[in-house]
Amino acid sequence: MNMLNPIFARLNKMPRAALITIGLFVALGTFAPWLAPQDPSTQSLLDAGLGPSAAHWLGTDHLGRDTFSRLIIAANTSLVSVGSVLGVAMTIGILLGTIAGYHRGWVDDLLMRVVDVGLSIPSLIISLAVIGIVGPGYWTMVLALALAWWPMSGRISRAVAVSIMSKPHIEALRVLGASPWRIYFGHLLPGTIGAVMVYATADAGTAALAVATLSFLGLGIQPPTPEWGQMLVDALPYLESDPRQVLLPGLALTAAVIGFNTLGESIALNRIPKPLTRRMLAIRRAEVASWGKENSDA
Amino acid sequence: MTQAPVLKVEDLQTRFKSVQRGKFVHAVDDVSIELYPGEIVGLVGESGCGKSTLGRTIVGLEKASSGRVLLDGVDLSALSGAALRDSRRALQYVFQDPYSSLNDRQTVGEAIDEALVIAGTRSPEERDRRTKELLDQVGLASAVRDRHTRELSGGQRQRVAIARSLAVNPRVLICDEPVSALDLSIRAQVMNLFLRLQKDLGVACLFIAHDLALVRQAASRVYVMYLGRIVEHGSSKELYDRPSHPYSQMLLASAPEVDPRIEKHRRGPLMIGEVPSPTNPPSGCRFRTRCPLAVDDCAKALPPSRVLSPGHTAACTFAADLHRGNRTALVQQEMSAP
Repeated sequence: MNMLNPIFARLNKMPRAALITIGLFVALGTFAPWLAPQDPSTQSLLDAGLGPSAAHWLGTDHLGRDTFSRLIIAANTSLVSVGSVLGVAMTIGILLGTIAGYHRGWVDDLLMRVVDVGLSIPSLIISLAVIGIVGPGYWTMVLALALAWWPMSGRISRAVAVSIMSKPHIEALRVLGASPWRIYFGHLLPGTIGAVMVYATADAGTAALAVATLSFLGLGIQPPTPEWGQMLVDALPYLESDPRQVLLPGLALTAAVIGFNTLGESIALNRIPKPLTRRMLAIRRAEVASWGKENSDA
Repeated sequence: MTQAPVLKVEDLQTRFKSVQRGKFVHAVDDVSIELYPGEIVGLVGESGCGKSTLGRTIVGLEKASSGRVLLDGVDLSALSGAALRDSRRALQYVFQDPYSSLNDRQTVGEAIDEALVIAGTRSPEERDRRTKELLDQVGLASAVRDRHTRELSGGQRQRVAIARSLAVNPRVLICDEPVSALDLSIRAQVMNLFLRLQKDLGVACLFIAHDLALVRQAASRVYVMYLGRIVEHGSSKELYDRPSHPYSQMLLASAPEVDPRIEKHRRGPLMIGEVPSPTNPPSGCRFRTRCPLAVDDCAKALPPSRVLSPGHTAACTFAADLHRGNRTALVQQEMSAP
């Protein structure tokens, strides 16, 4: 219990609404197979397009599949794909970033120019190009998005690694005669991972949106696997007769994206007082904006 | 001193690329110093004169542009890779800022244990014993062993840093203002501990400081550095009693006296002017732009080092006169304040 206290203390400083949303998303995503009341893929055309009832809490879609179950399973799909995208992207980014930050010199120049190129092309375009070449599919999508995502984490890791490398405690290790391996794996890598993981939260929302976008376009997750973006596009022809089927996955996606963004922002701005209100966030933003102004005056 | 020096620095130069294109910052210029086993040698000078850079170059944190560093007669510049790391380990560095020289993620025990591992102590029992011994030596209770370094005070952290340096059995310790970041009350404690350890272990020590009183108390010999060069060198007593370079005279005169009666009648100018840029150092003697004794000749050539008495040298044309007391850099300007 004592070990958990610092974690609770830290969580308490985050915006509660976003924390609850993301907590719910992660919990639903993790335990989805056990939570979903019905098989999300079972069709029943007799029940198609029904409203909420005891059997189907949020109604059914045009093929008679239970919307509630599909939403929950979609959370799982989203969580897994976002997790894998960020996992792969972070791994590549942190590795290359720390190598650049450790070596500096021409290695740094070379890797950062690659990152520059990556950052200058919109991530969706890179993903579309990769999917266009390899063909649509779940893992293609994860790979394509990771490929589009790693430059950002590479850039951040490099900055963090450079700042760690210039600290006297690394110099002290050099003086002690520590091998490069010890400095890299024992001190640089753990320090960088800790700092960069924080940024992953801020990125998760954008990644979730990108997954949904690709699936919406039919380039990502393929039917019948439920996914929010794909549920949206499925229900689109029935927008006028049954808008609920479009609104529900849309709302779920919006909540997840805004939740991740707010959480990421609160981590970045470190410690927004709870509970998060619009006024507080506005004050905080104004304060942060004024930092830049002070600098430009000086 | 008939012994061989444990550390010998020969014509060491450290240059950094300047922001001005094609120019270099001459941070350390043709510095030669020697350290004999078991002695404390002071290195004093103004901020920015290159004393820290000299220390950092000796331990290899900065790359020397030319010159040699000999440790026990072994030329370190001829070595590389693991051999260099193993040899250079006998040279240790104590950083000025104890807050950033330890990894916040480590506990005290881990920090010292890591140094022992690096030094090649294999057996965990042996490392455990040494860690206890080292903590005891620097006067820390063994209870701090499991504390994170971030939980400690500045004085405790500096003790841990010293213990970590000692873990690898150094022959030479380079201390870069090891106590100037500490509270005044803690300073004396850490300094005394340091002096006691130095004496007990017989480690040679290059003590970089701008606190002249501290150096006088601790060091047997002193090097005075100005703008990347050694301008005067002598035993503590000689140098403090008969400073023979205008810069040393002014540096010593600018240190405040504790006794207000002496302080009132203290003569001499406080240091005038700014240190010139090491990117474009003055021609000839580097101190001439601020020297009250400077004559035209000073701009022409670097004044050679003059031996004034055994072990006392100063790089000034007038060193002999200054040493005899026939001249001083201080009389020219009486203190105007009442």
